[in-house]
Parts: sequence; C-alpha cells; structure tokens
Amino acid sequence: MLKLRLLALFAIFFVSAGSSFAQNNAIGYVKTVQGNATVTGGGQSVSAQLGTPVQIGSVLRTDKLGSMGVTFKDNTIISLGPNTEITVDEYLFAPERDELKLGASMTRGTLNYVSGIIAKLKPEAISLKTPTGIIGVRGTHFLTKIENED
Amino acid sequence: MRWFLPAVIVLFLSGCANQSYVVLLPNDDGTIGKVFVTGNKGTTLLEKNQDGVLIDSPAGQSFIVSKDKITKDFGIALAATPEKPLVFLLYFETGGTKLTSESRADIPRIMAEINRRPAPDFSIIGHTDTVGSDDDNVALGLKRARFVAELFDGAKIARDRINVASHGEKNLLIPTRDNTPEPRNRRVEASVR
Repeated sequence: MLKLRLLALFAIFFVSAGSSFAQNNAIGYVKTVQGNATVTGGGQSVSAQLGTPVQIGSVLRTDKLGSMGVTFKDNTIISLGPNTEITVDEYLFAPERDELKLGASMTRGTLNYVSGIIAKLKPEAISLKTPTGIIGVRGTHFLTKIENED
Repeated sequence: MRWFLPAVIVLFLSGCANQSYVVLLPNDDGTIGKVFVTGNKGTTLLEKNQDGVLIDSPAGQSFIVSKDKITKDFGIALAATPEKPLVFLLYFETGGTKLTSESRADIPRIMAEINRRPAPDFSIIGHTDTVGSDDDNVALGLKRARFVAELFDGAKIARDRINVASHGEKNLLIPTRDNTPEPRNRRVEASVR
C-alpha cells in the first residue's frame, strides 16, 4: 500500500515536472503603476511595470509621486501610495500541504490591503510588521499609514 | 458625534508622538472583518467600519477615522488598487472529465477576461470533496485542473503566467466533515487576475 502511494506521488511529480505549463517562482505580479516604483530582489532592482513579477524577499518601493498595486497568487491584493517601502518576507500558498503564510514588513508610507484565500483558510498566517508594532488580520480590508522618524 | 470628539483629541493632542495608524474598512460584500494591532503598550482589536488606532497607543484606544482623512491619507494608495480577480467555478458531470454545459459556456468568458486584462495571470486549481485519502484527492484535483488547463491551449497568455495546481480536499467551498460526498466541492477554480 505504501509502495503504491509512493508510486502515485512519483507519478504526480513527473507529470507536473513535464507539464507544458511551466511554473515560475513568482508569488504575484504588479498590476498597476503610476510614477516611479521599483521591485528589488536578489540584489537587482527593476523599474516596476505592468506584469513585473514579485517574489519572496522582494522589496516594493514607490517615490514621492509613485504608486503601485500587486495581486498575489492567492488573490490577496495590496496597493502602495507614494513614498512607501514594503518587503514581502514570507509567502506560502500550498493548502494541500497545510503550508499557508503571508508575512510582510513595512517601513514607511501608505498601504491598502485586501485579503485573499490565505486569510480565509488560515487567518493567523497573515502578519504585517511595522517599526512600532504588528498588524494581524482576520479576513478583511484595512489601510495603514507608517510614519518613519529616522 | 460620540466617536468624533475622542478622534480629534487623539489625532491633534498627541502631535509629537508617532502618528502611524491602521484603519479597518468593509469587505466588498459589505461584511467587516477584524484587525489586531499590537504595539509596545498592548493589543487593540478593530472590528467596526472606519475603526482606527495609532499603532503604538495603549490597548483599546480606538477611534473612528473620518472619510476625509481616509481620502487625504490613502486616496492615492486606494486609486492604485488592482482590479479584483475574477473567479469562475467549473464543475464536471458526475464521475467523469466532462464539464457541465454551464461550465463549458464559461470557457469563452474566461478567455475574454484574460484578453481584456492588461497584464493577466491565471490560475487553474483543482479541488475535491473529503471522500478518500488526502493524497488521492490531491492527485484527483490535479487531474481535473490539468484537464481544464488543456482547454486554454489557445489563450493569449504566456505559459509562465498560468499556474496549474491542486488543493485536494484542503480548500473546501462548502465546509464538511471528512468522508462527506459534496458535489459543490468537486470543482476547478479558475482565477483571472
């Protein structure tokens, strides 16, 4: 029985690996941009455009005239106002393996957050760190403004 | 009015403190969720429309944030909100890999939505009910998702923007106990973002 199950798992693995629908490591994509906005990851900074991928560790920044919106694979939506910086620290969206997590940290600016499937399946898996505290959600829509005194 | 006065006091008298704050808004469907804000001085629960709190304020000192202040502080961020993902639920005829006629009719609508969006990405996720083992259901969900994915071979979208996956029985539309047949849970969710 165990053998059969292992065989089934291998079959799934190879079928997925051979899929013509190539997977990539994007966890979301930029869907709106105004003015200057960047996505930085792996030491590389790119100017944000419609369709720019966001990955784990990506830092999203807007300048004083910029704004940007990102939709994640679980349908979570965030949008940044001007002069904003937010890092996506953790993102796991694999309910079949009980792996669910969305952790981000914000150092300045304004953010609009609309929850997606991760918040629906595991609300406590969502957290947003700020310089003076942590925001946790229970499936919802909120805004936050972070003033940085540095 | 009862809420407005404390709001004014908090926002203007604490002029030199950090003014970082959070405000709760309703969901699209009109329901209101909850937000917990935890700073050095405790945790405040927000659960009413436009309920706000300074992040480093002592626990429980929430206030109502006016529409004007929301627009002033967050107008640009709100205007940058991406279009809401459009989610289609696709169903199969009992026991087979044939879509119901309603679901077949959704395929051209999904194609049109992919073509309409400026920088689309698309996910096709298979789901099962809770009958059978977790592993078998992941495999079954993937089979359903891959079957649907083939219907989009001609879609105008890069292959690396299509995500085909299975959540097995771990993302139920209708919550049930284990080993419960539920046709509405045996579905493929196609989300156009």
